[in-house]
Amino acid sequence: MDKLLRDKKMIAIFVGPAIILFVLFLLVPIIIACGLSLFSWDALSLPKFVGLNQYIRMFTLDTTFIVALKNTLFFLVTSLISQSLLGLIIAIALTNLPKFSNVFKNIFYMPAVLSSAAVGLTWACIFNPTMGALNNLLKALGLANLQHLWLVDPKSAMWCIAFVCLWEFTGSTMILYMAAIQGIPGSLYEASYIDGASKIRCIWNITLPLIKPMIKTSIILNSIGSLKFFDLIYTMTYGGPNHQTEVIASHLYHRSFQMFEYGYGDALSVILLILCVLTTLIVNKCIKTENYEM
Amino acid sequence: MNDTIASTSNKNKRPIKISQTIVYILLTLFALICLFPIAWVLFASFKDNTSLLTKPWELPNPIQFQNYTVAWVSGKIGHYFVNSLVVSGATLLLNLIFSSMAAYAISRMKWKLSKVVMNIFLLGMMVPIHATLIPLYLIFSKIGLINSMIGLIIPYMVFAFPTTIYILSSFFSSLPRDIEEAAVIDGCTLWDVFLKIILPISTPGLFTVSIFGFVASWNELLVAMIFTTGDNAKTLPVGLTNFVGTYSTNYAPMLAAIVLAMIPTILIYCMFSNKIIGGMTAGAVKG
Repeated sequence: MDKLLRDKKMIAIFVGPAIILFVLFLLVPIIIACGLSLFSWDALSLPKFVGLNQYIRMFTLDTTFIVALKNTLFFLVTSLISQSLLGLIIAIALTNLPKFSNVFKNIFYMPAVLSSAAVGLTWACIFNPTMGALNNLLKALGLANLQHLWLVDPKSAMWCIAFVCLWEFTGSTMILYMAAIQGIPGSLYEASYIDGASKIRCIWNITLPLIKPMIKTSIILNSIGSLKFFDLIYTMTYGGPNHQTEVIASHLYHRSFQMFEYGYGDALSVILLILCVLTTLIVNKCIKTENYEM
Repeated sequence: MNDTIASTSNKNKRPIKISQTIVYILLTLFALICLFPIAWVLFASFKDNTSLLTKPWELPNPIQFQNYTVAWVSGKIGHYFVNSLVVSGATLLLNLIFSSMAAYAISRMKWKLSKVVMNIFLLGMMVPIHATLIPLYLIFSKIGLINSMIGLIIPYMVFAFPTTIYILSSFFSSLPRDIEEAAVIDGCTLWDVFLKIILPISTPGLFTVSIFGFVASWNELLVAMIFTTGDNAKTLPVGLTNFVGTYSTNYAPMLAAIVLAMIPTILIYCMFSNKIIGGMTAGAVKG
């Protein structure tokens, strides 16, 4: 038996294809991107070595990049607060419900399986001033003074996108937490109930500590997801008006595949990569988890 | 008011009931918010442009399917739909084959580097696909994979590896050790063990990763937009964004296209919704 599981040839056959593809099409391109970010080049000219110049240019001259960076951090913060918190609260509420928790769970998770492009376009129609579904509704409700050019005003556009993000992704955070909560043995709750602990106390002292690893995972997934955020921006505002709602991913798309500044695009993608790695490290450092035997 | 008086007389039971009603009301409200845009786009897709613009909230009257034919034929949604099916299906299949094999070797077989290899795969979780776009684009255009479905399947598959391998290997390692021993004593080879024992009993985990994987590649926009410039390999999400340019005032067919793009994932979700969480709780995601 042991011999079978130590068979070097079999191990190579099993793990080989995946690791080769992974290195070839994921790790190597990233290393190439890091290297190319030191060269200035586009579709027409040959690469010219410029060192870190493009990064300096990014932070000093590229005002759109600064806006995009700010917006990306805005979505990072809003989605962390709204989705993680709301997802957690809903998951706790649902696991304590006597009835219908399955129905609610299925409805809440539904938006998460939809294509972000479809979701973005749908909400763009709802916020749209010419079609004016939302404005029309406000008028019908007698709230005409609340009518607004939702996606044209950059400020409200940012909040609208943050809301759609919340609408789409709260369900996926919720489902992660529910999976973790359902893994907690019921005997723990029974024991504390016999000891006279209130429901809130049970949540605070049993549920939350035990799902801490999942809280960490979901915060990491959530932050990386919002750093990479592209589809909703592209379909709802296209980065506009006047690049005011641009995020790093959309700026990267614009510079590399519409203006064909490949070198600069590579530099932007390296910044995005650094942000993702940094966030993961910070979250890992800040939330310490212990393994409880359950 | 009556409730508060009653609750003081019956301290333990009433407040819970009241708070529970509030919870139900809040949850119902949130459920309505979740369903409302989906319902709206569905109803609106049966209207013509004029009634869509003048009466966006009324029920479609008369119900007309013309938007769907326009979207399917002149919007080429039918063609993109098939492309999406092929790309997502092939990605799913290849990802399952490679990931389950790698996960098995990492979690059950005995070799020194298994932890290192696992960590290399986990690195992929925090890497954004954007960082590979330009190099991959350049390489693919050299070897003729731009505008081909293979050029989409490869990055989708590779970026699905980390999560799939992570979930599957924690699933595999939760299975009891004796399974393999008994099988080997009965004369099974490693392939038999893997194909006839491990995979069949891991169906909950395989289900979860399949659904996640399929939904992810079905919905992906950025890579598909960049790697497909012509029509032959374009997927549905790219097809949807095409409507914004070419039909800028023609909203009704776009809404029909949106509904068509939403149907498959909603269908899959409705069929398997209970299995998603099942595969996750069965020892799969431990955080």
